Amino acid sequence: MEDVKVSQTVRNQQSIDRAFASHYGKSMFLAIIGLLILTFIGTRMFTHVDLNLYGYIVGTIVFIGGFFYRFISWGERPPTKVIIKKGIKLLLRKNTPKTSVEQLATYRFIWNRGIYRWTQHILIGWGCVLAILVTFPLVFSWMYFTMQENGMYTIVLFGMDLMVVPADGFIAFMSYNALNISAIMVIIGVCMALYRRLRNLQARAEQQVIYDFLPLYLLLFISITGLTLTVLNLFFEGKGQYVMSLIHQFSVIVTLIYMPFGKLAHIPFRPLSVFARNYREHYGEKSMQACKVCGTGFVSTEQSQDVINVLGENNLTFDMKEGFNLAELCLPCRRKYRISRFSGFPTHEVSVKEANQNAKG
Amino acid sequence: MTFTIREPKQTETETEERRRLYMELENCIGCRSCLAACTQCGGHEQKNRNYVYDVNPLVNRETMPLMCLHCVDPACARSCPAQAIQIHETGAVLSALVEKCIGCQNCTIACPYGIPKFDEEENLMYKCDLCIDRTKDNIPPMCASVCPTNTLQWLTESEIEVKQSKNDVGNDKWVTSMPYLEGETNVTVNLPGILQGTVKLF
Ligand code: SF4
Ligand code: SF4
Repeated sequence: MEDVKVSQTVRNQQSIDRAFASHYGKSMFLAIIGLLILTFIGTRMFTHVDLNLYGYIVGTIVFIGGFFYRFISWGERPPTKVIIKKGIKLLLRKNTPKTSVEQLATYRFIWNRGIYRWTQHILIGWGCVLAILVTFPLVFSWMYFTMQENGMYTIVLFGMDLMVVPADGFIAFMSYNALNISAIMVIIGVCMALYRRLRNLQARAEQQVIYDFLPLYLLLFISITGLTLTVLNLFFEGKGQYVMSLIHQFSVIVTLIYMPFGKLAHIPFRPLSVFARNYREHYGEKSMQACKVCGTGFVSTEQSQDVINVLGENNLTFDMKEGFNLAELCLPCRRKYRISRFSGFPTHEVSVKEANQNAKG
Repeated sequence: MTFTIREPKQTETETEERRRLYMELENCIGCRSCLAACTQCGGHEQKNRNYVYDVNPLVNRETMPLMCLHCVDPACARSCPAQAIQIHETGAVLSALVEKCIGCQNCTIACPYGIPKFDEEENLMYKCDLCIDRTKDNIPPMCASVCPTNTLQWLTESEIEVKQSKNDVGNDKWVTSMPYLEGETNVTVNLPGILQGTVKLF
């Protein structure tokens, strides 16, 4: 009985998988269905669609397609698979919120790389997040505003009245100007980034035009055209507004299409850094791998084994005749072991700490 | 008033033969110039990425440099879940891309020679990139530029071949890769002993 049931579910699973040519097709299908359902609810059964924003809908769908394409081909790689699988399992660790805030919101590690870089990154990063949080709910009509007779605005989210605010109050001001504020943030941030690249010869040497400059120019293009829309509205009675809004939409769509492939791809993939931190902390607490030469715990046993397995899948095996795998030696011992293989003298067995490796005198 | 900016002539460097880092371990005197020079390379942000080891510290002063050997099939890049370690068209295995590295440190565990370093504060791996902004234009990497004893040299394939034929001492000391290393590398290394009977000029 039991067996029959199991094979039944397996077969069901297989036929679901077979209905789609690939993981890709399946994820794509599910994401678009999800999007449709959310839009359906948000627009009160499509009665509230803002057709001005049609271009964005197309852009978003293309973006989702590109994103899944990239994500799935990337997730197939053995080391990525390990991190994703174990990362999801460890998502409920109690450190997750703190790590996420540090990694994804305050960018503490970038602060440590330099204040200039951090300022530039926080302006661009939060400028973009703010803009996305405002634009996309509007595009899919998850959020809109209605004006009442008495000078009060109602903010409607997913068809529910979220709050009622005075039309000349602070919240209302912030909501109409959110996009302007984010545009200014992004423009300042991008200019800082461009300045650093053009000024600093060191930085310039590393740059590749397509990889490094294109995303900055795209963001600048979006922000400037967006801000121009506001200027046209305020000072020119909306003249040329239609053309400008088309140009603006075009810039957003191009960026969305480019996003999963270039430098900006780090935005959707960055949450993996939280997975990585959890993975290291969790398994580090469980048990540390003692160096097979000096006995120091230098990495979690789990990670050491995972790396050995991942390399094995790539036909790289570093089992030594001394009976250890190189991934089981701490870094200084592994380097000394290499020296010993060069010289024939077992440097790694002399317990003298490596001297002066930091070029300080 | 018009200005014309004259581009430096490219033709010479274009036809120039590609070069590789070549290490003659026997010559090292342990001065650590290569470490100091490494800190000064563009993009290295004052942090060196190479090593100099005492071979038998309690007995003599023999030293050897150790740096990334730029594996043809690099374990560091294979183990990186974020594809942050890219391989340049010259074969150089680059340092982690700052925006991609997620700080898992797989690469430090995977490298058979223990080369990649990790900055905990910046949550970022950094490693020898063979001074890519120099070597991509066939300019020697910082370490080879300053090495006073020719332990580190920046040679063309044919120069390396000449060395190999000149130093055919039949003692297994000419090492370009297997079985002495863990895999094929873009850096050529030879072991102490190669210069037997050759007069050194320094
Ligand atoms: S020597 Fe280590 S760091 Fe260098 S390419 Fe090979 S595996 Fe990577
Ligand atoms: S520490 Fe960074 S470069 Fe190294 S494997 Fe992890 S993500 Fe890749």
